[in-house]
Amino acid sequence: MTVLTLKSQLQAPLEAGVIVPDRFAGNSVAAVAGMPVTYGNEAACLGDFFKVAGAGSTEIVLEGDLGRVKNIAAGMTRGKITVHGDAGMHLGSEMRGGVINVYGNVGDWAGSEMKGGKIHIHGNAGHGLGGAYRGSRRGMNRGMIIVEGNAGNEAGAVMRRGLIVVAGNAGDFAGAFMIAGTLMVFGKLGIRAGAGLLRGTLVTFNQPELLPTFCYDCSYSPSFLKLILRDLRLQGLSISEEYITGCYRRYSGDFNRLGKGEILVYDQR
Amino acid sequence: MQVDHVVCAFCGCVCDDISVTVEGDRITKAKNACVLGKSWFLSHGTPSDLPVARIEGKPVSLDRGIEEAARCLANARYPLIYGLSSTSCEAQRKAVALAEVLGGCIDCCTSVCHGPSGMALQGVGEPTCTLGEVKNRADLIIYWGSNPAESHPRHMARYAVTPKGMFVPDGRKGRTVVLIDVRRTPSARAADIFLQIKPGKDFEVLWALQALANGQKPDEISIENTGLTYEQLTGLADRMMHCKFGVIFVGQGLTQTRGKHFNTSAVFLLVRALNRHVKFALIPMRGHGNVTGIDNVLAWQTGYPFGVNFSLGYPRFNPGEYTVVDLLSRGEADAALVVAADPISSLPGKAARRLAEIPLVSLDTHDSETTRSARIAFTTSTAGIHAEGTVYRMDNIPIHLRKVMDSSYPSDEEVLDRLLAGVKELKAC
Ligand code: SF4
Repeated sequence: MTVLTLKSQLQAPLEAGVIVPDRFAGNSVAAVAGMPVTYGNEAACLGDFFKVAGAGSTEIVLEGDLGRVKNIAAGMTRGKITVHGDAGMHLGSEMRGGVINVYGNVGDWAGSEMKGGKIHIHGNAGHGLGGAYRGSRRGMNRGMIIVEGNAGNEAGAVMRRGLIVVAGNAGDFAGAFMIAGTLMVFGKLGIRAGAGLLRGTLVTFNQPELLPTFCYDCSYSPSFLKLILRDLRLQGLSISEEYITGCYRRYSGDFNRLGKGEILVYDQR
Repeated sequence: MQVDHVVCAFCGCVCDDISVTVEGDRITKAKNACVLGKSWFLSHGTPSDLPVARIEGKPVSLDRGIEEAARCLANARYPLIYGLSSTSCEAQRKAVALAEVLGGCIDCCTSVCHGPSGMALQGVGEPTCTLGEVKNRADLIIYWGSNPAESHPRHMARYAVTPKGMFVPDGRKGRTVVLIDVRRTPSARAADIFLQIKPGKDFEVLWALQALANGQKPDEISIENTGLTYEQLTGLADRMMHCKFGVIFVGQGLTQTRGKHFNTSAVFLLVRALNRHVKFALIPMRGHGNVTGIDNVLAWQTGYPFGVNFSLGYPRFNPGEYTVVDLLSRGEADAALVVAADPISSLPGKAARRLAEIPLVSLDTHDSETTRSARIAFTTSTAGIHAEGTVYRMDNIPIHLRKVMDSSYPSDEEVLDRLLAGVKELKAC
């Protein structure tokens, strides 16, 4: 296990895409400390900012307020990263495998364009969770993100595959232009959820304000949802039994696009 | 002395038919210009008593100012260059070069006005045309979330509403003008149809219009709270689908309200859908004289129109990460260079406060809140009055600026060029 402890509060953004198990594995403490990072506009070494304990391994623990540290675990393919504190932007972006646990809040674009693996955020997430970078044609494409707090705007935008679960509220345009995949929000949804939905499923437990291009189909109890919800219980989320056994109203849309997407709203009755 | 065919670089209309009268060292008349243009010519054409450079408010020589400003920027870890909407493309080029050498971020007023249009362009493409085409062909003009009568006073008369065009020989009579806004603005008087929608409901209305253009029937109940009736909506869609050539002018009422780039994406997609029926286009109503220019200069030099970061040595683009309000309110930028803009009085509180705290270098033609808080302030001459240059009109047409009179101040381009040389020397590159 490699433990990195932030030495002092950062003033400028630190781009630390080197903090990935793939790069750490098999390296000595000195080699890890010497890995290149960019602090503001200056090239620097990881060791200038972090105290490194333990030789490089596929299990990394980060400690301190890392709110200004960007690109942690970007592109990781294996191993485990645990952050005790906040993490900055682009956490786990484009990751392909492995597990990230954050006991704090994360910045914008966490898990954007990820292609596998799992991110569990115990605090809040910023905007663009599991989303796509500007100009990209697709966002998250496989993998799983769990946020126990709230998420910002555009969660799961242009998502292609995978599962995003937000236990708290989500901001505006959740699942906008989603191609496929599943986005589940237990709290309140912001406005214009599912705008431009091509396919894919948005599950919510409070009636959202729907766009004029969605229409009501039926009320039913989808079995795939039971499986997902049971699995989420195993992941440590508390899911009430009514959600598993209850009925959901299905709205299909967005008819300005393919119209094969669905918004499932838990039926309180 | 009268100088004809002068270009007004105050707003995005960039009118190039102004006749300016110069008497001695000042401009006394600006024929053909609107009220805004007139006051721009008269105020910038009046000699100023500001020192060419000031450090902490004290007058210094230009050389001393440049030396200090270069040091201030070169020492920064995350410097920001901002503004650039009211200066020439030549000066803008220097600013981009400076951002690269500094390894900083460069952002322009686009990020707080039509940045969302740029993002929509990237996401869904921009079906656009020039103002010349509007004048000669358009028979349906829609202003959405913009108030041209006050923001671009000659827009209607010169390009969009009254002029007689090749295929619109009757001028005003041959065109239908629709104004869509959340309140009745003075522009409503010039419109045939005024549609008032509820604040924050633009996206829903645009989305429903797109559904109608696609041959779908939008849900009537969701339309109820947009402020428009179903009949008004279908009437508008019908008008759009049965014109010969329609244009939507997109204002900040769309780009700067909740939903931002999704609102503009919705307009772009609507126009795309309408093109299955008739010829339709859109043009963003760009505000400042050369804000379109900085988008073009940045895009041609870095590949991106605003919010560009050079900290890794190559350009990266990410609105929300490298844009001015975000950089400042997160407290990341540690020095700033502001060119021809007044962000301290226009940005949201937290961002403006941060800007006032950090070492700030400003270049402007006149005194403002920003130049007064700047550690180093340069007074420069005005492009289009004291110097030649290029500006881009709101429809991306480059127009050459004429010089009308001399000035004792250096141009923005000159100061930026010297700053660039100074920073290069300090950074030894
Ligand atoms: S409309 Fe704009 S460009 Fe034309 S004269 Fe008025 S301010 Fe100048």
